Amino acid sequence: MAAPPRHATMQSISNGGIAPGIDKPQTQQTQQAQLSQQSPGLRVPSNRKTIYDRHLNRSRNTELSRASFAFLFGEMVTYAQRRVTGIQDLEKRLNEQGYPLGLRLLDLLFYRSTSTSSSALSSSSTSSSPPNRPLRIITLLHLIHGPLWRLLFGRAADALEHSVSPDTPNEYMITDNDPMVNTYISAPRDMSMLNCAAYVAGIIEGVCDGCGFETKVSAHNQPTELWPSRTVFLVRFGDPVMEREKVLERAGVK
Amino acid sequence: MAVPAYRGTNNLQSLRTPNTSRATLWRSKQPQFDSSHNLPEYLEAYQSASPPLASPVTLGVFSLIIINKAGGLIYQREFQAGLRNLSTNDYLVLAGTFHGVHAITRSITPKIPISQPAPFPATSSTGTTVPAASGYSYPNPGVPVSGLDYLETDKFRMTCFQTLTGTKFLLFTDPLTGHVDTIIQKIYELYADYVMKNPFYQIEMPVRCEAFDRHLGAWLRGRT
Amino acid sequence: MSSTKTSRIGEETRVDKVNAELVTLTYGTIVAQLCQDYDGNYQDVNKQLDKMGYNIGMRLIEDFLAKSGVGRCANFRETADMIAKVGFKIFLNVTPTVTNWTSDNSQFSLIFEDNPLADFVELPDDGRAQDELWFSNILCGVLRGSLEMVNTPVQMQIEAHFVSDVLRGDDTTEMRVSLVRYIEDEMPPEEE
Repeated sequence: MAAPPRHATMQSISNGGIAPGIDKPQTQQTQQAQLSQQSPGLRVPSNRKTIYDRHLNRSRNTELSRASFAFLFGEMVTYAQRRVTGIQDLEKRLNEQGYPLGLRLLDLLFYRSTSTSSSALSSSSTSSSPPNRPLRIITLLHLIHGPLWRLLFGRAADALEHSVSPDTPNEYMITDNDPMVNTYISAPRDMSMLNCAAYVAGIIEGVCDGCGFETKVSAHNQPTELWPSRTVFLVRFGDPVMEREKVLERAGVK
Repeated sequence: MAVPAYRGTNNLQSLRTPNTSRATLWRSKQPQFDSSHNLPEYLEAYQSASPPLASPVTLGVFSLIIINKAGGLIYQREFQAGLRNLSTNDYLVLAGTFHGVHAITRSITPKIPISQPAPFPATSSTGTTVPAASGYSYPNPGVPVSGLDYLETDKFRMTCFQTLTGTKFLLFTDPLTGHVDTIIQKIYELYADYVMKNPFYQIEMPVRCEAFDRHLGAWLRGRT
Repeated sequence: MSSTKTSRIGEETRVDKVNAELVTLTYGTIVAQLCQDYDGNYQDVNKQLDKMGYNIGMRLIEDFLAKSGVGRCANFRETADMIAKVGFKIFLNVTPTVTNWTSDNSQFSLIFEDNPLADFVELPDDGRAQDELWFSNILCGVLRGSLEMVNTPVQMQIEAHFVSDVLRGDDTTEMRVSLVRYIEDEMPPEEE
């Protein structure tokens, strides 16, 4: 499987929680020494309150203030805006910020789907999600449309569609009528094309990549009168994915 | 099918309009989404047929202006069609003037001598001597001094709500309109949501937030 | 205002909710991005986090006031109570302990039992992060920014910094908050 280069670079972040800085050779040596003694390089509190001592499902159903999310997300947008040249660039950056989340959430979804009953994943909108990594596009998209959306936003996405154009069999669309991340955001008039849900597009991309589906995902405004911030996530799978899909189809893999 | 968002997409020229031709393969079963749960607030306002607080006197909200800490006008909006418009300049002057008057009303709040009256200040007949402030205090010192709270004529009432951060909301209503405090409180909440949480809004600058306009308008309409 | 009444406001203020993991991971991604952008210069990351927090604080205070409906605090002790029992309760659903007051009532500590921002976090094992990075430094900026904005009738200037963090291997997570000064806002209106 040819992992996209981006996946490889992001992997380092997903390991430690934070991108490691450029290590000085000295510290690397000391680290190695410590590792060889089987003792971790990090100090831990005397009560051993580390992430390894807490159950990963501890925060499963916990909630926090939506305002806190909005302020953090807003600050992420503001910060990204200072370093970009245009709307596309800004969306790209937001996408990149979401990407590592997708990789992690994928693990979390799998972990939770296997540690509890597998039906947790396939509760309502998806009828046949297997607990394991999706192999086919449709299974993957159902995972995103249902369980991922429910984990993030407490409900499934509003629609999932496939392009019928013969030119674009690799394009799929996930629609959210009212994306939570955009609730409080009004883009200025001269940036009306902007959709900050590019962050969510990045999350989707991370999930797809993490499953071995090379994808580009982008977020687009498609407002209706009833749903002024309706957003379509356009998912475009890469050629290798489409080729593999054909092989799997022939082999009868679900 | 018209796709408004893609009109004139200079920035996304690489993208084809994605839904020119597509088939719905999977659309989630509608009932499964608790639609009432997912509806945004401004739609709920439309939906709730019963008027809040069962009071018909919530009609008559004419207009709102918001004044920043420095006295600058940052928002102005009329809520009833056909109101005679003041010019932008009139509004700017109104905001600046009110800001000044508000500060004056605070500073002229009478002070009374604290418990042990200091030796009576030698107030000359011309009134030039200003007593030392330390010997005086506002009545009921626990309650902070506020400025002008409202201003009323036979035809309208202007209510001022100043937040602890110094922003002022001025609501023009019919003198008979009830629950003005509740209305202003809700406006403050909408402001906290759709103005303060919008990363594109710059603090102290004019408010141009489409979502704020939308929710404010819908909420006020929902009340009538 | 009595301490129990303050707690009650914190408990009863209605708050729109969102999945906690989304908040935690979003904050994590912000810090990770900064570490990348600043080439692992953690002092700069701390500064930037504080700056971001300050920007948030200037906005968040309006949300705090609008939703909680609380009034002005009579003194710094009341302010501390309000921060811990209403502010942190509303925005992070935790209530840090207010303690270690100086005798002149101008400095206190907030001790965090739980910190949702750091829920899944382990600092990089690079030999420096645990000595240099204050992962939750954004909170210091938030306090500074929000208290500075409350200026009617008196503006408050504070300083806040972390003195320990369980992520660094300390036994507690403690933030020290100091009142720098009150700025009276009794200026006559500037009329042209």
